[in-house]
Amino acid sequence: MLRVTLRGVRAHAVRFALSVLAVALGVAFVAGTFALRTMMSDTFHGIVDAQAPADAYVRGAEPLPGGAGASGGVGEARTPVPLTLADDLADVDGVRLALPDVSGPVVLVGADGTAVQSTQAPSIGIATDPRDPSLQVVDGRVPAVAGEVALEEATLASSGLAVGDRTRVVLGGAVTDVEVVGEVSAGGPLAGATLVFLDRDTGVATYAPDGTVATVAVYAQGGVDEDALTAAVAAALPDVPGGADAEALTGSVLRADLQADVDQMLGFVTTFLLVFALVSLFVGAFLIANTFQMSVRQRVREFALLRAVGASPGQVFAVVVGQAVVVGLVGAALGVLGGLGLVSVLRVVLERVGMDLAGDVPLEGATVALCLVIGTVVSALAAAVPARTAALVPPVEAMRGDVSAPERSLRRRAWAGGALLLLGAAAVATAAARPALDAAEVLLGGGAAAVLAGVLVVAPTVARGALRVLAAPAVRLLPPMGRLARGNVTRNPRRTAATAGALVIGMALVGAVSVIAASAQASLVRVVESSTSADLVLRSATGMIPAGAIDDVRALPAAGDVAEVAFTPAGVSAAPGADADAAADGPAGGAVVGLEPGVLGGAVLVDVEEGDVDDLDDASAVVNTRVAEGEWHVGDDVTVTTPTGARTLTVAAVIDTQVLGTPLIVTRDVLDALTPEVQVDTVFLDAAAGTDGTDLRVAVADAVAPYVVVSVQDRDEFVDAMAAQVDQLLVILYALLGLSLVIAVLGIVNTLALSVIERTREIGLLRAVGLGRLQLAGTVTVESVLTAVFGTLVGLAVGVGLASVMPRVYADDGLDRLVLPWGQLLTMVLLAAVVGVLAAVWPAARASRLRVLDAIASE
Amino acid sequence: MTTPIASARALTRTYGRGDTAVRALDGVDVDFARGRLTATMGPSGSGKSTLMHCMAGLDRPTSGTVVVDGEEVSAMSERRLTRLRRDRLGFVFQAFNLVPTLTALENITLPLDIARRPVDRAHLDAVVQAVGLTDRLGHKPAELSGGQQQRVACARALVTKPAVVFADEPTGNLDSASAREVLSFLRRSVDELGQSVVMVTHDPTAASYADRVLFLADGRVVDELTDPTPDTVLDRLGALTRRTAAAPAAAAL
Repeated sequence: MLRVTLRGVRAHAVRFALSVLAVALGVAFVAGTFALRTMMSDTFHGIVDAQAPADAYVRGAEPLPGGAGASGGVGEARTPVPLTLADDLADVDGVRLALPDVSGPVVLVGADGTAVQSTQAPSIGIATDPRDPSLQVVDGRVPAVAGEVALEEATLASSGLAVGDRTRVVLGGAVTDVEVVGEVSAGGPLAGATLVFLDRDTGVATYAPDGTVATVAVYAQGGVDEDALTAAVAAALPDVPGGADAEALTGSVLRADLQADVDQMLGFVTTFLLVFALVSLFVGAFLIANTFQMSVRQRVREFALLRAVGASPGQVFAVVVGQAVVVGLVGAALGVLGGLGLVSVLRVVLERVGMDLAGDVPLEGATVALCLVIGTVVSALAAAVPARTAALVPPVEAMRGDVSAPERSLRRRAWAGGALLLLGAAAVATAAARPALDAAEVLLGGGAAAVLAGVLVVAPTVARGALRVLAAPAVRLLPPMGRLARGNVTRNPRRTAATAGALVIGMALVGAVSVIAASAQASLVRVVESSTSADLVLRSATGMIPAGAIDDVRALPAAGDVAEVAFTPAGVSAAPGADADAAADGPAGGAVVGLEPGVLGGAVLVDVEEGDVDDLDDASAVVNTRVAEGEWHVGDDVTVTTPTGARTLTVAAVIDTQVLGTPLIVTRDVLDALTPEVQVDTVFLDAAAGTDGTDLRVAVADAVAPYVVVSVQDRDEFVDAMAAQVDQLLVILYALLGLSLVIAVLGIVNTLALSVIERTREIGLLRAVGLGRLQLAGTVTVESVLTAVFGTLVGLAVGVGLASVMPRVYADDGLDRLVLPWGQLLTMVLLAAVVGVLAAVWPAARASRLRVLDAIASE
Repeated sequence: MTTPIASARALTRTYGRGDTAVRALDGVDVDFARGRLTATMGPSGSGKSTLMHCMAGLDRPTSGTVVVDGEEVSAMSERRLTRLRRDRLGFVFQAFNLVPTLTALENITLPLDIARRPVDRAHLDAVVQAVGLTDRLGHKPAELSGGQQQRVACARALVTKPAVVFADEPTGNLDSASAREVLSFLRRSVDELGQSVVMVTHDPTAASYADRVLFLADGRVVDELTDPTPDTVLDRLGALTRRTAAAPAAAAL
């Protein structure tokens, strides 16, 4: 039987080619995802190792309430340790060297006069100590005095600068002229991070003005191991100033902690990519099932003959599934190669935009094995139902002249799919009706999945009717072709629906994302429009506006009110002993905003729910209910904790705003008192009385130009900029669209090509009675377009329908407008028609090349 | 005799090349009379189907000329052949005559649809009535009996008022009653409408409906018979089979 199986695949190689391609495509995504993950993981682990090369570390003993990292680093924020700890620990037995970690944000101006920044990676300024053993000077020297910097290798390359060049950096809010005195290696690729090494004194003055740092790195003397060193340091800590609140840990432990954080972040990326892979494999399974269904129908006689000469139904089943396994294995093997190719290309692209990744494209045995298993199993499962059909062919069919596998009734399908559909719709409706339910999101997600699955099951039962309606214009306008095409697509609704299935899934995703994106955009624009009255908005590409820029703008005669939105990472929690209802358990949020008096309700418009925002003073705070967890009221006490201090304040007002993304707003004085690490990310600006808006804009643009990263926007531009963030969602949309279209085209090509083979005699007859080649090609094309448009309409209907529920469920999260992007949806349908035409090219050419006599005479 | 509706001169058709070449038609000269039913008979491999395929423009002769209704078929491009088949010829095949997705009526008017010619209602009604299918027009082929399917095919062949109808074993798959219906219909179309019909068959009874029977053997026309009866056809056929069987022996002498 093995011989029969393999000969069958070989004899029908062309027939299975597209199935192989479908498996390859899905598996390529899986393999590519894993390879990319390994590469990114290696790179980031390399960065962690390079950043934390010491044998032991000293850090604050207590994690901060409220969590977020103090200076954008990985890992949880902790209380800081004194800078002096480094010198105090240097004398401990076994310690060769103790260096404080003095680092923070910086902006480097490249040779082209713009800020050096690649992708989303951070720019970090680091104070250098000439004794630091992790510094490897490639060229020149390390900076010794103020006005000198050294750059990391990749940073130097992407900045276009060279050792000896002069440039500027924005440091601690001021623009400083510097000379590049050296090139330094950080020991490996940094995934695009910009590293600027500063002299020690400048670094300390900028990043540790209060004399505290996050960690102190400790290096061991020769012959002292990590554990012994850490134990010695830990023993010494209680006796040095500030050491009581610090803890010591080995370098390996810290690195493991940091790497765990990195892996968690990469986990999201991996999950996202795997969803793509899953969608493409699922869609590929449709294609395979379809192929085998058709192939089995065509080979009924062959199977009957096998049965007649004594094969058992199980053996026939095994033949078909065995062929699917061969298809799966070949496809998966190609897919693994394809995936690695994909990642190699991606790597080159990422390098172009400045994100270097470590090492070669990895080829792990486990990944390869997993991919082969996935490809084979998906393929075998997809062929199971057709295989069963083949197994049940009665031997007598071999003797019959006219062979046709009977179409099974669609009734059971209609019931099952209908039930699934109703169940899903009910779940979604429940979520929409009661968005406050804890399970609302689960209901929405599960319901949506059930609706989509239900639609796929039901599709064949509605396909006939729907296609008749869709085909009506074609039947009317293209006399013989329209009618013939309609007949062909409605002849086997199961097959047409399965072929369109790929597009249904893809278009459901596309439809949903486009509705959500349009709705989010509209919601955001409305929020922004009703949130500020300022003439101009200043923002920064690095998320931080240098203080010098703000001072310069303030000094302009054209500038009226200047409102800074300053923030700092901080923990916010109900004050100890406060009313138990006041806050949910645990801390909330990760940052606090500080505003000058009068800004709230002035430049920043907010909805006041309780109290009065004008009551905000240095002893009080304003709670933003949109972000804050728990229930807050005027008069509640709240504690704000930063690495350098804590303050208990009384709630003066409760507001609701999306403009400020923090749970708590305090006065700027309170914020400055709490921490030296205040960042300003947005400045709202009004023109002085009697000044024209255009003049203001020109003046401000000139004033901030030296700071490179600051952008000036008027209200409309600000709204556009906020809306543009939503456009990033659309990038995902296009990726989904591209992928689903590719697989959909494959599916349609496959079905058409196979049905052309199946209908050879019918085609011969049509040609004999005078159907021209172009008319025949036209018929195949109309068929293809009908299938594509059918799938697209069903998919879009499902996606748009489900997404329409989102604003009801997520109204509290800011998605409160429902906008249906009709233009975009219509484009999708037109695109589907184009896809249909493209998919028809090869099968149509194939059909019209059939020679009439051969077609008539064919078996 | 008036000018023939279709004729072939020195018609040769060779399949394959070199040692394996098969001469399916070997210099055939033949005329098919206008307004007559002509049957072509012969044993398997005699070339009778190839002759019909070449006459109908479905196959291209290796050499020689074919003229149908005054036009030289053998010199036509593929495009003109398609138009010829659509407008001037009618076809009835042994099996698989109808497009399964179209109704009987749609199948009948298919050539008109393809040509985008308006349907001549009166002619259509006459044809449909003649084949006796008035009440089955809305059915799909799968819902019709074998005989009914062949009658639909005949109606389709006649609806364009073609110059010639080519019928390739039209009764090959039918029981005798159904075969009689189909043959009587073809006969009537000749007698009443003046249609020219060329029919390939191996059934002496079917051949007896013709005005004239041509006998082919080894790619040549070897005999013919006018106003045949089943018995005379069977006689000639018998003689033909004996002669074919005797040929190798004669060659050996």
